[in-house]
Amino acid sequence: MIKLRRKAAPNFGRRKLGAALGAAVAAGGFLAACGSSSASSTSGSTTTSKPIVIGISLPLSGDFSADGLAFKQGYEIWADYVNSHGGLLGRQVQLKIISDNSDPAQAQTDYQQLITVDHADLVFGPFSTLLTIPAAKVANRYGYAMIEGAGGGPSAFALGLNNLFDVSAPVANALVPAAKWLASLPVGQRPKTAAYPTSNDPFTEPQVLIAKKIMEAAGIKTVYFNVFGSEVTDFTPIASAVAASNADVVILGSVDVPTVSAFIQDFAQQHYNPKALVATGGPDQGSQFIAAVGAANANGVMVPNTWYPGASAPGSNAMVSTYIKKFGGTVSNVSADVAEAYSVGQVAAQAVTHVGSLNQKAIIQYLHSGVTLTSVQGPVKFDNLGENTAAAIYGFQWVNGTFKQVLPLSDPNSSGLLYPKPNWGA
Amino acid sequence: MSNFLRAVIDGVLTGSVYALMAAGLTLIFGVMEVINIAQGILVVLGAYLSYVLSVHLGIDLFAGLIITIPVMFVLGVGIQWGLMRRLGEREKVSMSILVTYAVAIILEGVLDLIFGPGYLQLTAWYVNQSIHVFGFYLPYIYVFGFILAVGLLGSLYFILYRTEFGRSLRASQQNKTAARLIGIDVNRVAAITFGIGVAVTAAGGMVFGATTAFNSNSSADLISRLLTIVILGGMGSIGGAMGASVLMLVIEAIVSTYWSPTWATLVFYMVLVLVLVVRPAGLFGQKAVRAQ
Amino acid sequence: MSALTKTFKSMSKAKLAAVVVAIAVIAVFPLVFTNPTVTEIAIFALMFMATSSAWNGFAGSSGYFSLGHAIFFGVGAYAFTIIANDFKMAPTSALFFLMPVAGVFAMVAAVGVGAVALRTKRHTFVVITIGIFFIFQLLGFNLNVTGGASGLQVPTPSNWNAATFNNPFYYAAAILLGFTVLLYWIIKRSAFGLQLLSIRDDEERARGLGVPVWRVKLSAFVVSAFPVGMAGALFAYLIGQIYPQTVFNPLFDLSWALMTLVGGIGTIVGPLLGGVVLESIQQYLNLYLSNVDIYLIIYGVVFLAVMFWMPRGIVPTVVGAVKRRRGTPTGPTSIATSDDKQPAKPDQTAGLIVTAKGATE
Repeated sequence: MIKLRRKAAPNFGRRKLGAALGAAVAAGGFLAACGSSSASSTSGSTTTSKPIVIGISLPLSGDFSADGLAFKQGYEIWADYVNSHGGLLGRQVQLKIISDNSDPAQAQTDYQQLITVDHADLVFGPFSTLLTIPAAKVANRYGYAMIEGAGGGPSAFALGLNNLFDVSAPVANALVPAAKWLASLPVGQRPKTAAYPTSNDPFTEPQVLIAKKIMEAAGIKTVYFNVFGSEVTDFTPIASAVAASNADVVILGSVDVPTVSAFIQDFAQQHYNPKALVATGGPDQGSQFIAAVGAANANGVMVPNTWYPGASAPGSNAMVSTYIKKFGGTVSNVSADVAEAYSVGQVAAQAVTHVGSLNQKAIIQYLHSGVTLTSVQGPVKFDNLGENTAAAIYGFQWVNGTFKQVLPLSDPNSSGLLYPKPNWGA
Repeated sequence: MSNFLRAVIDGVLTGSVYALMAAGLTLIFGVMEVINIAQGILVVLGAYLSYVLSVHLGIDLFAGLIITIPVMFVLGVGIQWGLMRRLGEREKVSMSILVTYAVAIILEGVLDLIFGPGYLQLTAWYVNQSIHVFGFYLPYIYVFGFILAVGLLGSLYFILYRTEFGRSLRASQQNKTAARLIGIDVNRVAAITFGIGVAVTAAGGMVFGATTAFNSNSSADLISRLLTIVILGGMGSIGGAMGASVLMLVIEAIVSTYWSPTWATLVFYMVLVLVLVVRPAGLFGQKAVRAQ
Repeated sequence: MSALTKTFKSMSKAKLAAVVVAIAVIAVFPLVFTNPTVTEIAIFALMFMATSSAWNGFAGSSGYFSLGHAIFFGVGAYAFTIIANDFKMAPTSALFFLMPVAGVFAMVAAVGVGAVALRTKRHTFVVITIGIFFIFQLLGFNLNVTGGASGLQVPTPSNWNAATFNNPFYYAAAILLGFTVLLYWIIKRSAFGLQLLSIRDDEERARGLGVPVWRVKLSAFVVSAFPVGMAGALFAYLIGQIYPQTVFNPLFDLSWALMTLVGGIGTIVGPLLGGVVLESIQQYLNLYLSNVDIYLIIYGVVFLAVMFWMPRGIVPTVVGAVKRRRGTPTGPTSIATSDDKQPAKPDQTAGLIVTAKGATE
């Protein structure tokens, strides 16, 4: 998780504009659908062999296309797994996925289509807070639960919608394990100085500020702190300035792979080797990250995360093997995005199974009941805003080509932390 | 002082990459008075072509240009011959924007279809290493990129000012009808110009792909910056594009170092507006771009 | 007003009937097609028809191809949101009356933008509007009042019935469209409209004929910002959140331009038709073609096909064909053909300016 939203750059990336009297084009389908929009929420009682339709809108093109595709894979392998294990309530699940092109207006149209025309029995979330907010508002209007895995920005919960549930961990405290660990190192090893370049993104800046506070309290001096616009495309001046500060450790508030990759490339070129580099997002994207920075430069880079390829959480092995069976590749192709989407499916399945029907009201009530559910990302327990309070965030590191859990040190699954970080290319 | 020098060096080095990406655009804009919105995706296409050659055939990035430049040339000639040639003289600018936009989304769709949305970056020994000069580390990739920019743009300059083709090209740039009258095949000149413009972009794309992680959606941020550079440099001026790229990126780097990275991008466009108000021909151009 | 009634009278019965039918269809549409997906799509269609008309009202009539009108969409959206939030206005139907206020803010922005951008020649105008556009977008990202990259939340009506939730937005969009079309219909028949056309045909000549070129261009620019700003406000209210990149969206301008050119630039009906046709294709491909890459490719190819097959746009091509068949001469007062992209007939335009001036003085 953590990387909830990719760069929101000013751009000419294609984007869908609302729409037209496409009504005429699709009138048949729409008309057939009119007037029975409430049917789906009660259809659980009439159990038939009809599949359960799950409506999802995803950004399959535009700014978030890389994440959108990973989410699609996550949802698909969850559906495959469920269908090959008896289905849900004895029925097969069928995903109805349409693209919103990273456009909130299209996401809003899409969920109306999914609920009122396709009569989806359940709806799952899109990717990013930007798309989740209009989606959750539409779902709320129709009394649907909106279970999602990457829409946990503060503004989403600020709406006070009772149908919104984010299965991933809240972001603000994500850097705490890494910051606490650095602060608690013995004096000889403890870094003396730190640099904090961060994007002005709502998901990176708060994390970085909390980490900065913890580390400053431990006497680690801040030698560089700067916020760059989320639309910045050329990171060379910023990275060079960080390198020139010669800080012992770098906490990088990044949202995507290209940002981290640009910083690492410049650090390597400047022969600047901090003792630790912790990025808020990017290194968690598995093989995509390695493809961009190269395996040698990845060594020792850290990132907060909730899932990793060696995780032992319930369903993790099943998810990985289903993924490899469907898409090929190896375990490292499974990114954090895939796990987030898969967790959405897992949580929804537990709720539906417990309730015994597709009654949305009952599902929402159950998810708010304080029950603890399981997911590949760990335990899930919702507070009244729909934030996952049980989620634990760990520190991860690339160690000689594998992505390992290393923090907190007290956790039995943590091991093999590399500190100080090996030099670039080593 | 060393901070200042570093900002200037960063600006000059990254500026040369932008010059390589913008050179084709200014040539096409200046000669044919059409705006090629597809320039951004052509840069990305250049990066993908270099990627295919280096990963699948093991060809060095710079050596691979010997293949990618002619390929892109043919594509450029194709776009001009197949599409741009058919635009009428009236509304040419507006129509060219829309036609090249359509070309851009088709190319993006094709690239996405072939490569998917994952990020790629070009690698070679010189991508992560640097040379130590006067206390500054200069990345090899930027140094090589700078040499490539000077070399390629220098040759372009030579073609424009020292060859027969260059003379016909500049003649058609100045007055189409007169050029036709003295026997210049304006259509042929246009096709070759568009071809050269796109061909140079292959080099820009390679350096871009070696300095930035990219996917098919990366063209999004490029086109507005490239257009700004082209206007500031003076439409059609190769040297102007180089000068404007370097100047803009130096300004951006200095603002980023001394003020805040947040405002650096804003300053980029502010400079454009201020320059056009004060000196409408652009910084280096002779052609007036102002109405009154 | 007398000019208005006179122009109404000049309409043929057939055209008048067509307008009445169109208004009736739009009025009853959400009562017949009650599905919220259909009405949602219809809202966007109306909104884009209105904004395309405004874009065309400036760019199509003056020949200055603007890629910066999304500035006014964004300013309208932010003005609406900030006012509604600061004054803690409840999300009710009354909030729609904030739309014209947002439109006025957009006009104020247009005075500044136009004063800078309209100094340049047409080629440069295209690029400088992009540059100024990005300045606004970046301000949206970096100012406190706009909430930066986190954007702003707009209150959404919470107690409206889900089944008819979209209807107030629909009628607000329909009124916006009606207002915009009427506005440009009147302008087209005014001395001001003719002056604008004369600038498009030959700016120097227009100046020579005594047209106050600068004032006319700037006024047309500022007027066209009003409907676009109102549309921005409506968009903000409908979506419930705004971000710099969703309201200061560079693709708005490209889409308005495409819709206008596909329908027929400079005509009243062109942008309306182009909006319906293009958005239908887009929506259909998006909802029923799951493969995004193919969707992009098809969409691009369709653009190219329309642009090369009907370079003047649908309306002028069709009307031209019909007129040729009937053998009717095309006159400049006809809606569709007054700005055929034929080389200008300066004498005719010049004469008209003089007549029109005489008529209003």
